[in-house]
Amino acid sequence: MATRGSNRSRLLWVSLLVTSLFIITLDLRGVSLLSSLRSGTQSVLAPVERLATRVFSPFGDFFSEVGNLGRSKEKIDKLEKENQELKSQIIFNENTLAQLESLKGVLDLAGKARYKTVSARVISKGGTGTFSETIVLDIGSNSGVRRDMTVIAASGLVGVVKSTTAASSIVLLMNDPSFRIGVRVAGKQDMGILLGQGDKSYSLQMLSARSAISVGDVLLARGSSGDRPFVPGVPVGRVSYVENTVGQLTKEGRVNGFVDLNSLSVVSVVLSAVAGDPGDALVPQAPRPAPTVTVFVTPSPSPEG
Amino acid sequence: MEINRLPKVLLIFLTLFLIQEVLINQINFLVAGFSLYLAFFMAWVIQDQRNSAVVTGFIAGLILDLSPTLDAPFGLWTLVLTSVSYLLSSNVRAALDAELSPLVMLSVAVLASSFALALFLLFGAILGQEVGSASYLFRSISGNALWSALLSPLYIPLAIKLYKVTLTARQR
Repeated sequence: MATRGSNRSRLLWVSLLVTSLFIITLDLRGVSLLSSLRSGTQSVLAPVERLATRVFSPFGDFFSEVGNLGRSKEKIDKLEKENQELKSQIIFNENTLAQLESLKGVLDLAGKARYKTVSARVISKGGTGTFSETIVLDIGSNSGVRRDMTVIAASGLVGVVKSTTAASSIVLLMNDPSFRIGVRVAGKQDMGILLGQGDKSYSLQMLSARSAISVGDVLLARGSSGDRPFVPGVPVGRVSYVENTVGQLTKEGRVNGFVDLNSLSVVSVVLSAVAGDPGDALVPQAPRPAPTVTVFVTPSPSPEG
Repeated sequence: MEINRLPKVLLIFLTLFLIQEVLINQINFLVAGFSLYLAFFMAWVIQDQRNSAVVTGFIAGLILDLSPTLDAPFGLWTLVLTSVSYLLSSNVRAALDAELSPLVMLSVAVLASSFALALFLLFGAILGQEVGSASYLFRSISGNALWSALLSPLYIPLAIKLYKVTLTARQR
């Protein structure tokens, strides 16, 4: 009996495995039904994600305090309520101000390069099970967003639009392991390829053996034909380490990205680069050293002397 | 699996998928991320009978494949979760006591979800997917294992309770 039962389980398992393989084959062969299932899911999830962002983003760090309200006795007076409301308001305002600051920064960057952009709010991120670094934006094809458009934040490049639905789009972040972008060193014409590594630093491979890079060099996007997927001139990162191994054909190094991809709230999608290549116009200003204060001390004559 | 259990299982995993996509994915975890969906699934499947476990694995995999941010072929998670659920229910479950202690469930949830992620990467690599550097993969899998262990007091009791809800009075 047990053998018959286990044989039946094995048969069920094998038939389900075959079904899975069949589904994978259909997907790899480009059956549109399966890809439309995912975009359909995104269309369904986008409004819920938008709502969740609106509800949880301002109060995400405030939950512990709000939780205390439930434990309070009936004697919570009006003043405490007002206090909580004011705290909520302050957090909400701080969150709004931070988003406004991000928006101002990204519009400044886009304005300097004369990029035509559309701003978006980040409503979700890719999960652990996906093994890809992605974010979801609250705008899609209805706002003119198309696949392979550049996405920027106030300090530089964020990633590239991977897919869109009518009201949402998925962006592949530049730290995704599959992300590659052609870059050039600001102020020079040396070119290289930047590769995502899944964390805050990136790998850089220069294309020519004669390329000279040094720590502190700023890298800008080289741009693609028709400005898709990358518009030229967007700041990408700063070289943090140069590998000097004897016998290497081309130079390699590590780069720190300009944008903190873990704390994105507002970004812009570049619809087109109106004025073409902005050259080095977007290179971020190096921080000015603080003036050194020199104090001269003149010893005063001692009262005894 | 009895046909009357199917809608309940489907509803539970769809809800969990929604929670994962809408809420959990928005949280910035200190190390990598956390897949509540996978951890809950493992804690669920270890309690299940072999046939039901395999069907649940197939359904849960299909739902996970719907994730819009997923860059892998549709059906890959279905293949992985169907395989893992069979392995868990036929090999691992048989070696454990009839009454599962929370510690055993925690260990199974942590190890099996790490194994499932590794299997997903392996199958993905075979199918030509970009898998990233070893350090990135190690950080992702170990980070998920860490959070699966730390947050187990939240999802293991839930998995036990919801599993019992789907059973008929006779099965309980």
